[in-house]
Amino acid sequence: MWWKIASILLLAGVFLAGLLVPLYPGLQVDNPEVLVPGKTEAIALRGYNTFFTQSSDSTRVWLTFKNKYALQATQVSATDNVTLLATFAVPAELPVTDHSMSLDVLVDDPLHGAMGLSSVARIQPKAPLQAANDSAWRVAEVRGLHKNTAFRYTILPNNYESIRNLFFHVPMWMVMMVMFLLSVWHSVQYLRKPLQLADARAQMYAEVGLLFGLLGLVTGMLWANYTWGAPWSNDIKQLMTVAALLIYVSYFILRSSFDEPEKGARIAAVYNIFAFATLIPLIYIVPRIFSSLHPGGEGNPVFNREDLNVNMRMVFYPAVLGWTLLALWVAQLRIRFKVLENRLMDR
Amino acid sequence: MKFFQKYIILIIVLLQPLYLPAVWAHGENDFMRNTGKIGVVAGVILLIFLGLILYLWRLDLKLTKLENQIMDDHERTH
Repeated sequence: MWWKIASILLLAGVFLAGLLVPLYPGLQVDNPEVLVPGKTEAIALRGYNTFFTQSSDSTRVWLTFKNKYALQATQVSATDNVTLLATFAVPAELPVTDHSMSLDVLVDDPLHGAMGLSSVARIQPKAPLQAANDSAWRVAEVRGLHKNTAFRYTILPNNYESIRNLFFHVPMWMVMMVMFLLSVWHSVQYLRKPLQLADARAQMYAEVGLLFGLLGLVTGMLWANYTWGAPWSNDIKQLMTVAALLIYVSYFILRSSFDEPEKGARIAAVYNIFAFATLIPLIYIVPRIFSSLHPGGEGNPVFNREDLNVNMRMVFYPAVLGWTLLALWVAQLRIRFKVLENRLMDR
Repeated sequence: MKFFQKYIILIIVLLQPLYLPAVWAHGENDFMRNTGKIGVVAGVILLIFLGLILYLWRLDLKLTKLENQIMDDHERTH
């Protein structure tokens, strides 16, 4: 009973914190501006969750190039809370000669902390430059950056608020894995000692695991539509997930194809062990071999360290636990129903 | 009341077109893409909710069937 209440409380907290905690302030850009060397140029920066009018006196802005060179704005003014105008005296001499420079921006003040955005402007020299001179582009002046220590979530370009799906879409996979793990555990128990209860548990945990797998798939498709541009892009994790779900769908088809329930239960239990053994490489090994649109492909298949700051972890782990307990609750209802049904059939 | 019970789903379904198009009909700047894509989060939560409700709905139907079976058995034995 206590764990049902725990699941309600955890999920209530996750819904509140997951939806109400703001993102860190960040910067947005529509089109990179083209700057001409030797001229004074103004760049308009668009803020997200920013309060520029409260901080513009102490705001410093730099255009940076490859983290090696920086050019500080001579004048910074805020038109409103989300628009910052920075004026730069672009030196006539550039640190490189061979190509046009793509510049990143760095905005820093005590209120927002340091905010960066890549490719906000580009320098296109009118004529090919003969010699490089980096004396006007020294990085030395970028120091004393502030850190925003408020409880906020990471702001990622292209994701923005949809990063909150971390607390709703991602736990579906964790829940699916826990359910399939419980299912295979009870299948092993059934093979050791053929009790109807163990079979009912194996079957129903697999069913609830399948439900959460499907939910993970459709919620992922919705998220993908607005971040990757299409609901389905044959991403390796999408394909592997469909393969995994089909393996478990065939578990139920296999079960139902036997006339004698006991024989079916035994074969299904063996199949379940093979299904789970196939699931591990599908979900954990293959996605690491192929490149994926999903973040964190290099390390953990679900996320990497930078995408998930410590504040998000403080909500993410309770979310995984809360959703898992809710799934256990649903599975338990289903198992209790199955036990009653079995008892009625036996009479 | 009987009329209401019978047609309530129909009424709800017929009411959807009144506001659903307004949710999506903004072209490039639709509800999902503006306001920092918060609509995607709303959609994901709605999908999870509907998925769980659908599963519980199915369980409800199975339970009703089981209840009826038990009632039938009970009447036969008494």
